[in-house]
Amino acid sequence: MSDQNNDVSNTRAGAVDERTIYELSIPGRRGCEMPPCDVPETEFPQALLRDESGLPEVSELDVVRHFVRLSQRNFGVDTGFYPLGSCTMKYNPKICEASARLEGFTGTHPLQPEHTVQGNLELMFKLQQWLQEIGGFAAVSLQPTAGAQGELTALLMMRAYFRDRGETGRTQVLIPDSAHGTNPASTTMAGFEALEIPSDEHGNVDLAALRAACDDSVAGLMLTNPNTLGLFEAQLEEVIACVHGCGGLVYGDGANMNALTGIACPGALGVDLMHFNLHKTFGTPHGGGGPGSGPLGASAALADYLPGPVVQRVAGDEGDGTSYALFSPARSIGRMSTYFGSFGVFVRAYAYILHHGAEGLRANAEHAVLNANYLRSRLRDVLPLPFERTCMHEFVLEGRIEGSDVRALDISKRLLDFGIHPPITYFPLIVPEALMIEPTETESKQTLDNFVEVMEVIAREAGNNPELLHAAPHNTVVGRLDEVRAARQLKLSESS
Amino acid sequence: MVKSIGFVINPIAGMGGRVGLKGTDGVVAQARRLGAKPLAQKRAAEMLAELARQLSARTHAPQLRWLTCAGAMGEAELLAAGFLSRDIVVTHHPPDEPSAADTRSAVESFLARGVDLVLFCGGDGTARDICEVVGTGVAILGIPSGVKMYSGVFGSNPARTAEILLAFLDERLTTAAVDVLDLDESQYRADTWQVRLYHSALTPFEPTYSQSAKALIEAAGDDEVKEAIAESLYEQFAQQRNLLVLLGPGSSVKSVAQRWDLDKTLLGIDAIADGKLVGSDLNETEILELLARFENRALVLSPIGAQGFVLGRGNLQLSPEVIRAIGCDNIIVIATPAKLLRTPVLRFDTGDRLLDEELTGQGYLKVLTGYHRRRLVKTVI
Repeated sequence: MSDQNNDVSNTRAGAVDERTIYELSIPGRRGCEMPPCDVPETEFPQALLRDESGLPEVSELDVVRHFVRLSQRNFGVDTGFYPLGSCTMKYNPKICEASARLEGFTGTHPLQPEHTVQGNLELMFKLQQWLQEIGGFAAVSLQPTAGAQGELTALLMMRAYFRDRGETGRTQVLIPDSAHGTNPASTTMAGFEALEIPSDEHGNVDLAALRAACDDSVAGLMLTNPNTLGLFEAQLEEVIACVHGCGGLVYGDGANMNALTGIACPGALGVDLMHFNLHKTFGTPHGGGGPGSGPLGASAALADYLPGPVVQRVAGDEGDGTSYALFSPARSIGRMSTYFGSFGVFVRAYAYILHHGAEGLRANAEHAVLNANYLRSRLRDVLPLPFERTCMHEFVLEGRIEGSDVRALDISKRLLDFGIHPPITYFPLIVPEALMIEPTETESKQTLDNFVEVMEVIAREAGNNPELLHAAPHNTVVGRLDEVRAARQLKLSESS
Repeated sequence: MVKSIGFVINPIAGMGGRVGLKGTDGVVAQARRLGAKPLAQKRAAEMLAELARQLSARTHAPQLRWLTCAGAMGEAELLAAGFLSRDIVVTHHPPDEPSAADTRSAVESFLARGVDLVLFCGGDGTARDICEVVGTGVAILGIPSGVKMYSGVFGSNPARTAEILLAFLDERLTTAAVDVLDLDESQYRADTWQVRLYHSALTPFEPTYSQSAKALIEAAGDDEVKEAIAESLYEQFAQQRNLLVLLGPGSSVKSVAQRWDLDKTLLGIDAIADGKLVGSDLNETEILELLARFENRALVLSPIGAQGFVLGRGNLQLSPEVIRAIGCDNIIVIATPAKLLRTPVLRFDTGDRLLDEELTGQGYLKVLTGYHRRRLVKTVI
C-alpha cells in the first residue's frame, strides 16, 4: 500500500482495560497537598458539612495515567482520516487554537462593562460582517450556539414575522426528505408542522410535489444545499420561486456551506435566512462536545427579528475613536444564549477567516469539491453509486457488494481496523445501505488514495471472507457493540 | 436458553398461482389437474437451509426446540435441513390430504406446549388460519409461499425470513402489531379485487436502522410511531367542540382510539365523541345518522399496505354519501413511515369517479406520519 502505514497493530493505542476514575479510588490517597492556612481558623457551619464528598481519592500519577490512556483511545482529525459525511471534519489549524488562548480573550468576563471589552466586541463585529458578506445577508447574529439552534432561531423568526403580518394561518414548514434529521425536530419545537417533500429520481426536490404543497398554509421551506446526497439542488431557482410565490420564506441549512464558500452566495440566490456552522465550514473543533456555533444570517426583511444582542459600530465620542456597542434588533425574538454565544469559537473562526482570506476560502471550497469528486470517481468501481452526477463536497455510496451479505455497517466497522474513521452510515435514509463520504479539502491525494486502497481490500474481503467483516472491528480496544441494544436498553452502571 | 419454535408448512400454499387460479383455497384438486406442483416445501427448505447455515457459522448459537407436524407439513424439511431429530417434537399427525383444519390443530398443539414464535410457510390464507388460533398471544412469522401475501407477517423472501427469525431469537428485534389481510378468493377469481382485513397479529418487526448526523440510533419502533401519530391527533381533536371522529379499520387507526383508552373494533368503523365511544362497527345508515348529529366531523383512515387503497377496500360502509357528508377536507390519512416505504401511491375507489378525483386532489395527499409530522404521498385513481 501507499506511504501511509496500515499495519493494523498501530491502531491499538491504549489497549488496556481502563476502569473508571472512581474504581481507581483508594481511601486516604491524595493528589495534592494543601498550603498552610494563612487566615484565622474558624468553625465550619454544621449545616454545610457532609460525610461523603463523592470524589475519587487518587494520586496525581493515577490521574495523569488514567486520562492519558483514555486520550490514547480517542480518534480525531489529528490522529487519522475522518471522512464523516455531513460533518465536515476538516483539520483545525493550531494557529486558531493559539489565538483563542490569548490572555486578552481568556481573561475577559461576559459581565464586564462594554467599554472594557472593546476588543472582543470588535472581533464579534468583524465576524458578523464577514459572515454577512460570505452569505449575502443584510445582518448576522452570532447568538445560536449550534447548527440546530440556528435552525430553531430561524423558525422562531419566521413565526414572529408572520404574526406581525397577521398571517397566522401559516403553520406548515416544508422539508425535503433528503434534509438533516434535525429539521423536523426544530420545526416541531418552533410550533410548526413538518411536511416532508419527496425527492425525484435525480436526488432533487420533486418540483411537482413542491408545487402541490405550496399554498397559504406554508410558512417556509427548509433547504439544505448542497443536499445530504452531496448534490447541488439543480432546480434551485424554481424551488425558491415556488416557495416565495405562495408567500413563504426560504430557510437555508448552512451545514454544507463548505462546498459553496466564496463561490455561491445563498442570500443572492433568494435564501431569506441561513445558519452557518462555524464548527464545520470555518474549521473550529467539533465532534467531542464542541462547543458548536451556528450564527444566523437574515435578509433585510427579517433582520429586525434576529436574536440579540448583536454588535454595532458607533462613532466615537471624541472624533476618531470608533467604538462598539451591544444592541438588540427592533423586533428581536430575544436571546438564544445567556451571554453572547460561543465566544471562544468566534475567535477561532475569526482567525481561520483572517488566515485564509477571501481567495483562500474559495480555494478551500474548490478543493473540498475536487477531493470529493476524486474519491467518487475512484470508489464508484468499488461500491454502487446511486446518483451518477458530479457531486459537491460529499457523496453517497451504497454499502453492498453483489453476491455478498456484507452490509454498510460491516464495511464501516472494518474501516476501524485500518485506523480510518467510518463515513456516516445509514444516512441519508433515502439511500439504502448509505455510506456518506466527505473527505474535506485538508486531506492530501496520498491520504485519499490510501482510503481507496483500503476500501478495495474490504470489498475483496466481502467476497472471500464475509465473516471477517461481520465480526469487525478486530483491532480496536472495544469490539463490535450491539448498537440496537445499546440504544434500546440504556443501562449504565459501573458494575455491569 | 432454549427457544421453542412452532413450525408448520401449508403444503398446498401457492399451488394455484402458477396455474392462474389466483389462490388455492378450495381448488386444490383443480390446481393438481392443471399440473400444479407443491411449492411450499421448496420455499421452506430454502429458508431452513439459510437458517442452518447462519447458525452453524456462529460460535454461540441459540438452542432451538422445534414443535412441528409429521411429514410434509414440517418434520421432513427440518430433518432435510440438518436439524437433529432430538430437537424436533412432532405434536400433530396430519392425514394424507391435509386441510386448513390441520394448520389450526397443529398451532393449537404448539400453544398447548408453549412456543416463543410460530413459524409458518404459506400465504395470506395460512396466516389467517394461524391468527384464528393464536390471536396476538404469540408472535408469528411467515415464509412467503402463497399466491397472495398482503399481510405484514411475511419476510420479503425465504433467506430474509431466516435473518428476521435469527434477529428475533437474539432479541435484537422486538414485535409490533401488523394487519393480516386477505382477498376474498371467489370474488378475486371473478376479477373483483376485494381485500379484507381479518386480524391483527404480532410479528418480529424489522425497524429501519438509521443514523442521525451524529450517532447511530434505531428508528423508533412501529408501535411507538403509532403512539406519536395518536398523540398528534388527540391534541388536534381536543381543540374542536361538537366533533364526531370516525375511525376506520386497521391496527394503526386502532391505536388512535387507545389514546382515549377506548377499545375500537379492529375491522369495523367506530365513532368517538367527547372522549367516548358513541358507535361500534357501524354500517352506512348508522354512520349517516351519527354525522347528522354533529357540527364538526373527522374521519381517520390508514391505507392498505403495499396497494395503498384508502377507500373502497375493506371499508365499503364509507359510501360516497358518507364521504360527502364528512367532507373531503376532514379526512385524515395516517401511516407509519415503515408502511409508506412499501406503499408508494395512495388509491381511492369509492365507486364515484368524481368523488375519487376530488379525493386525489392535485396528485398528492398529506399523510400524518408522526407527531406534528406529515409526508406528501402521490395519489392515483
